Amino acid sequence: MNVAIVGKGGCGKTSISGTMARLLARRGHAVLAIDGDPNPNLALTLGIPVERIETLPTLPRDLVERTNQGFRPTRTLEEVCASHAVEGADGVRLLVMAYPRRADTG
Amino acid sequence: MASEAEDGVCIVDTDATVEQFLRIAVIRADAVLVVVEPYFKSLETGRRMARLGTLQGYENVALVANKVRDEHDTVHEFARQHGLDVAGVIPFDDRLPQSEWAQSAPLDFDSRSPAVMAIDELAQRLVDGRANAVGENGGAQVGS
Repeated sequence: MNVAIVGKGGCGKTSISGTMARLLARRGHAVLAIDGDPNPNLALTLGIPVERIETLPTLPRDLVERTNQGFRPTRTLEEVCASHAVEGADGVRLLVMAYPRRADTG
Repeated sequence: MASEAEDGVCIVDTDATVEQFLRIAVIRADAVLVVVEPYFKSLETGRRMARLGTLQGYENVALVANKVRDEHDTVHEFARQHGLDVAGVIPFDDRLPQSEWAQSAPLDFDSRSPAVMAIDELAQRLVDGRANAVGENGGAQVGS
């Protein structure tokens, strides 16, 4: 099941996302958390220490390509996770998208 | 991208701009939860985000009211007026800002705090074979 949790900054969506991810992991689900916020803070809520957050790999810009049908992934989720996901508390895997520049200009 | 396995869960934490909605299209979200706070401007923002989600083709869009003290009725009334579902209500909880100051995850800081318990309930409902009915009214009908 895929869940998107959206909201404005400060509304608490990251606390909810991270806490939900870990609670579901504790109940035996394989959980992948994706931080798609331009200002990524999900790692902290997942219990990944501040020092580790600084070294987290960010996703490459060519992850999705734009076609006439819209955006299309260039790699499978498994491929991306293998190279870019980090594991935090309760076994939750985290992918940080973080777009320091606009990713759709390529 | 393929969905996670049957018991796998993928959670995307994101801003709700059109651009972000296009990006998260790659994971094909089964549910879109729009987190709002219980005051008018935030509810209005949430309504617009929910509408955006519906316009992007998501069928299962619902509000999650966060930091709620005694505004349950206000939130539900707003949702009813605009044909929105409320997937969950998370109470205001001092433990969350406290956990942030301690640079700790809410769950590590206090795993039995009211907000954590409410998030747990919401998570249960989501995965409990009710992915098509996250809201109390059985799925979102976002007003046009």
